[in-house]
Amino acid sequence: MMKEATTFPSDRTPAVEAAAAGQESSRFAIEVAGLARSFGETTVLDGVDLRLESGGVFGLLGPNGAGKTTTVRILTGVLRADRASCLRVLGHDLPDEIASVRPHIGVQTDTALYDRLTGLDNLTFFGRLYGMSSADATRAAHALLDRFGLGDRQAHRVGTYSKGMKQKALIARALIADPELVFLDEPTAGLDPEAAHELMMYIHDLSIEQGRTFFITSHRLEEMESICTKVGVLSRGRIAAQGAPAEVARMLVPDVRIRITVAPPTVLDQSAVLALEGVRTVTPVESGAMVELTTRQAVPAVVRAIAAMPGDLLGIAEEPPTLEEAYLRLVHTQERVHTQEGAAVGGAR
Amino acid sequence: MKGGTIWTIAAKDLRESTATGQVLAPVAIVPFVFVVLYPVGLLLALRSMSPADAHDLVSKIPTSAFPGTGELTVQGQAAYISTVYLFAGFFLIIPTMVAVVLAANSFAGEKERHTLEGVLYTPVTDTALVVGKIVGAALPAVVISWVCFGVYTTLVNILGNPLVGHWYFPTLNWWVLMVLLVPAVSVFVTACVVWVSARVSSYQSANSIAGFAVLPLILLVVGQATGVMLLGPGFFAVLGLVLVVVDVVMMRWIITTFDRERVVASFL
Ligand SMILES: Nc1ncnc2c1ncn2[C@@H]1O[C@H](COP(=O)(O)OP(=O)(O)OP(=O)(O)O)[C@@H](O)[C@H]1O
Ligand SMILES: [Mg+2]
Repeated sequence: MMKEATTFPSDRTPAVEAAAAGQESSRFAIEVAGLARSFGETTVLDGVDLRLESGGVFGLLGPNGAGKTTTVRILTGVLRADRASCLRVLGHDLPDEIASVRPHIGVQTDTALYDRLTGLDNLTFFGRLYGMSSADATRAAHALLDRFGLGDRQAHRVGTYSKGMKQKALIARALIADPELVFLDEPTAGLDPEAAHELMMYIHDLSIEQGRTFFITSHRLEEMESICTKVGVLSRGRIAAQGAPAEVARMLVPDVRIRITVAPPTVLDQSAVLALEGVRTVTPVESGAMVELTTRQAVPAVVRAIAAMPGDLLGIAEEPPTLEEAYLRLVHTQERVHTQEGAAVGGAR
Repeated sequence: MKGGTIWTIAAKDLRESTATGQVLAPVAIVPFVFVVLYPVGLLLALRSMSPADAHDLVSKIPTSAFPGTGELTVQGQAAYISTVYLFAGFFLIIPTMVAVVLAANSFAGEKERHTLEGVLYTPVTDTALVVGKIVGAALPAVVISWVCFGVYTTLVNILGNPLVGHWYFPTLNWWVLMVLLVPAVSVFVTACVVWVSARVSSYQSANSIAGFAVLPLILLVVGQATGVMLLGPGFFAVLGLVLVVVDVVMMRWIITTFDRERVVASFL
């Protein structure tokens, strides 16, 4: 999707720019505390707390309808919060100082481009809305469309683009004015796997090399795990867990999983391993077995016991939990808790 | 800077509405009927009518009420009264139609097509957005009306002058109509539609609400316009200025009550 050798329209980094302008540059790109929002009877956000340092990639995860898009809309000032003890973006309080925030953010949500205009016209129009000169906007639009592999279609009406092409153009549009903070709401929806991967790499580069901050929502947990410096799981109106992806995964999945490699693999007596204290499951894998333990304390005894069994123990490695496992576990637990609460309330009546 | 943004928004709307014939075609056909078929039909009929038939026709009109018709033949009177007074109302209906269609398309249509939300994230001010949208619809309404006026003037001078006996069109009233009232009415109508559009979710409903609400108002103005024209260009100009004041007040009010949340939330 991104062609080599094309550089991002600007080589100034937002951080350098801010310093040059003598602005007070806040350490946090986003600070939110106690954010709540309902639509009619439905409480969507109920006390969201979030702090994002500048320059990272934040991934907001959560099931459908959890309120991710609503959160993005509130942070970008098109929806109001019902209440929030702190709601600050790029150092400015919302909603009062939203006008100071808008020039520095780029947003891609579930919106559309102008089908009747060309890709180039669409991007140039947005550049102009950010106050860029016509020449600058056109130059930036060319560079971005090239970067997203749409260079040869830029003079065609967007109505003729495929779904994935429209999505790329939307993301390009969010980047047109060189934003310091970029909100991408499910940016990889509709992209083919290769394009999705390249987009993730591009985001990674933009954040590492140019210090931009990204706020991304996505359902593709593997992708999020690979590029996010921080993730948060939105569930039942709150951020149920936040931190680096590995941290969140370890926090939510307390069990330890170790991969045992033995030779020959067939010699391992699985039922004997399963009978050991602290072992929850044993799953055969090609070279041996994957053993899940309920606590870390059980590790030494289990390893010693396996070592004493027939066959040669070639390796023991801890297999860290993935973000996806952690996420699924969290969401399920929350659902179970909710159902029980519901049942308890129902029973008390 | 703000002027630039207003123009950017207006120009984008113009480009979008001219990009396909779908939006402009219907609004171009009706004016054609108004400014070409009706006057040409009437003037040609008058030319071929016998003086007696023409007399019957004119006798139903209180010609003495219309200044400038005293010394004319009956055919001349009929031609003068219809082209100078009766058809004037068309030139308020034309900008109204064009403005309703374009404004509904640009504001409610953008909400419906989910393109407006993207604009709301940008640094565009409410003022620039609202004024840009109004200009983008009112400007073509005015331009189309002026083109129609050019065509109409040509036809009236070719077909009407022989009947009246001298060059008589456009009168001063018509200059007031074209320079003051047409722009004022275009802005008024566009502002009404934008106000409605910010509160409903689809192009269709904006169009029909605007149709129900705006057309009777305009017909009222049209009805009065002929009457006010009789009072002379001075009074007519006052009517135009009153409308300009109403426009300014309305625009300010739309801008102060403009709410991005309502635009975003009402199409979900
Ligand atoms: N304008 C609105 N009016 C009424 N309800 C709304 C509105 N906007 C959002 N909601 C409700 O708020 C909840 C959260 O919606 P939101 O779009 O934020 O979810 P999400 O986390 O982005 O979901 P998804 O993963 O499907 O994109 C949903 O129940 C939705 O129906
Ligand atoms: Mg969403």
